[in-house]
Amino acid sequence: MRVFTLVAALIMPLAAQAQDRAPILMDVTETHILPRFDTLPETTGALVSASLVECDPTSPALRAAYDAAFDSWISASHLRFGPTEIDDRAFAMAFWPDTKGFTSKALSQHIEAQDDAVQSPEAYAETSIAGRGFFALERMLFDPNYAEQGNAEYRCALIRAITADIDANARAMAQDWHSYAPSLTLPGENSRYRTQDEAMQELFKALSTGLEFTADTRLGRPMGTFDRPRPNRAEAWRSGRSLRHVELSLISSRDLAARLSFDHAEIASELDAAFARAIQNAQSIDDPSLAGVSDPQARFRIEALQQSIHDIRTIAVTKLGPTLGISAGFNALDGD
Amino acid sequence: MTSRRHFLAGLAAAAISPVRGWASVGAPDFLAAGLFPDGSFRLAGLSTSGKLVFSVPLPGRGHAAAAHPHKALAVAFARRPGTFAIVVDCATGAQIAQLKAPESRHFYGHGTFSADGAYFLATENDYEAGTGIISVWDAESFARLGEFSSGGIGPHDMRLMPDEETLVIANGGIETHPETGRTKLNLPTMAPNLSYLTLSGSIQEQVSLPHELHKNSIRHLAVRRDGLVGFAMQWQGSKSEHPPLLGLHRHGEAPRLLAAPDHEQSMLQGYAGSIAFSADAEKIAITCPRGNALHQFDTTSGTFTGAFTVEDVCGLGAGAAGLVFTTGTGAFGTLTGARPVVRTREECQWDNHLIPIYASA
Repeated sequence: MRVFTLVAALIMPLAAQAQDRAPILMDVTETHILPRFDTLPETTGALVSASLVECDPTSPALRAAYDAAFDSWISASHLRFGPTEIDDRAFAMAFWPDTKGFTSKALSQHIEAQDDAVQSPEAYAETSIAGRGFFALERMLFDPNYAEQGNAEYRCALIRAITADIDANARAMAQDWHSYAPSLTLPGENSRYRTQDEAMQELFKALSTGLEFTADTRLGRPMGTFDRPRPNRAEAWRSGRSLRHVELSLISSRDLAARLSFDHAEIASELDAAFARAIQNAQSIDDPSLAGVSDPQARFRIEALQQSIHDIRTIAVTKLGPTLGISAGFNALDGD
Repeated sequence: MTSRRHFLAGLAAAAISPVRGWASVGAPDFLAAGLFPDGSFRLAGLSTSGKLVFSVPLPGRGHAAAAHPHKALAVAFARRPGTFAIVVDCATGAQIAQLKAPESRHFYGHGTFSADGAYFLATENDYEAGTGIISVWDAESFARLGEFSSGGIGPHDMRLMPDEETLVIANGGIETHPETGRTKLNLPTMAPNLSYLTLSGSIQEQVSLPHELHKNSIRHLAVRRDGLVGFAMQWQGSKSEHPPLLGLHRHGEAPRLLAAPDHEQSMLQGYAGSIAFSADAEKIAITCPRGNALHQFDTTSGTFTGAFTVEDVCGLGAGAAGLVFTTGTGAFGTLTGARPVVRTREECQWDNHLIPIYASA
């Protein structure tokens, strides 16, 4: 099915010039974006079911469902525009980095007050965004500080409220992405994007900021400085998922980059080789929570991984970007 | 390019006397940083007609600068998150001092001198605490004297009010940490504000926007002689929304937010770069480099009075009449009537801001 879509899209506009972006826009939307947002509610639905069956934080089935759902979110989370950013949905799924410790505060407040917002998904969605999503759930499942707080019954209700909210959010995104898809595939009068180039630029930005986030934040935050590494700032270190998030996001970005560079074979192969190096670097590190940032030897490999992601981004920005008509305004690109 | 003669004359003068007034460097009206064709970054003095009256080298890409009220002295900041600022003698190009941010601090790229020129103040990030700081420096020795809270997170632009005793600070609300580059760490909870502080750091007034605009980062400021403050914003929320990017505020009153009709507003990509009042103080404008636009409003009625297309426009200031602007393509232009007119074009790329020099001598 996926292969068919790509082939169909590619043979369609033979008459058009080389600049016709329609095949790529169709391909990215149909085979990169929508499948990711279709998988997401499947896994979050399973997470809800698992929490209903057993809400013991140490339950292997619940933790496995958490892992599967978190995987599918991380694989989609670079697509942070359109339906993903409405109502802060991406932050409601994953409130990270949390520099001021808002997640633990929000959870403690719920537990202390026995907040009955946990009784309904609508009410829970109105509570602090830091108490929602996968990082709140991670605290409840993996942080020993929450294993004893309040009573077991309330903790169970809270876990179920968080999973139900994640699922509602995932379903809303999936539904909205299907209605948003024509905006990307058919730019123009009735679309958010006036031209094909604008739509391509949105996709390119998702690629480039996704890579930047993985290198600078997913890896940069725990790395800190050589003299002051910050292992406890790694993403999802409590559940040992930090390195996995790097790998999953690289795999997703690689797929997006391949589709965006489809009609520039040389750039495509250069990007693919750079992704292969980075993914290989990630897979050669045996340190799920990136605790090795504090160890000079292990840290060296994490630095190499970070550099290999910077290298991908350099190729994307200097070679792929210009093919997509990314304007290189001196001030326009500046963010001050 | 600038007159080599000016440069040499300045050099000679400096050898025999301490730093002189702005008249000694051709009485510029503005400072602007730019990238020149030889790859060098320079700080330039410009007149309201766009004449480049001096330029001196900078060690790297600049952001904004601050002009000393009497002496031909400028503090030039590196781009965020720079930990250095340099004090340049605009006559000789000599670097006469360097401001170094202490451990766990960096500059945001804006600062101001006190009216008497005795002190220099700069906006800083205390990035371990994630809070905003105003540092105070001796403007003779450029020793750091102290610091106080900016009243928020991410202080960016800061101006001295006409009473010469109050600072107005744009606390942009966005937390960043140098270890994570420009990653914005607190978007869902960000809460920008406009803060009025005394020169010793006590808060006089703080103004926030309604909650639905909490992602509208207040970044740049313009102050009118009667104390009316204009603020320019950068929207961090959904790209499908096009909120106002310009506000006006008067001490003790509620802010007024001004926006163009939606079909114009939606072209700006939620980003305003600079803000200034016109020469007659009746108009206020913002530049929007991502939308290649300059939007102008009437300050009394708040009415939108025009959108003008200017490629990569960012620097903005009051001209001899109307407004003047600079662009990333090297243009210096004026807007006095129905359309913007490019007056000069340097072989350079002008950076974000035009900094007014209110020279008294």
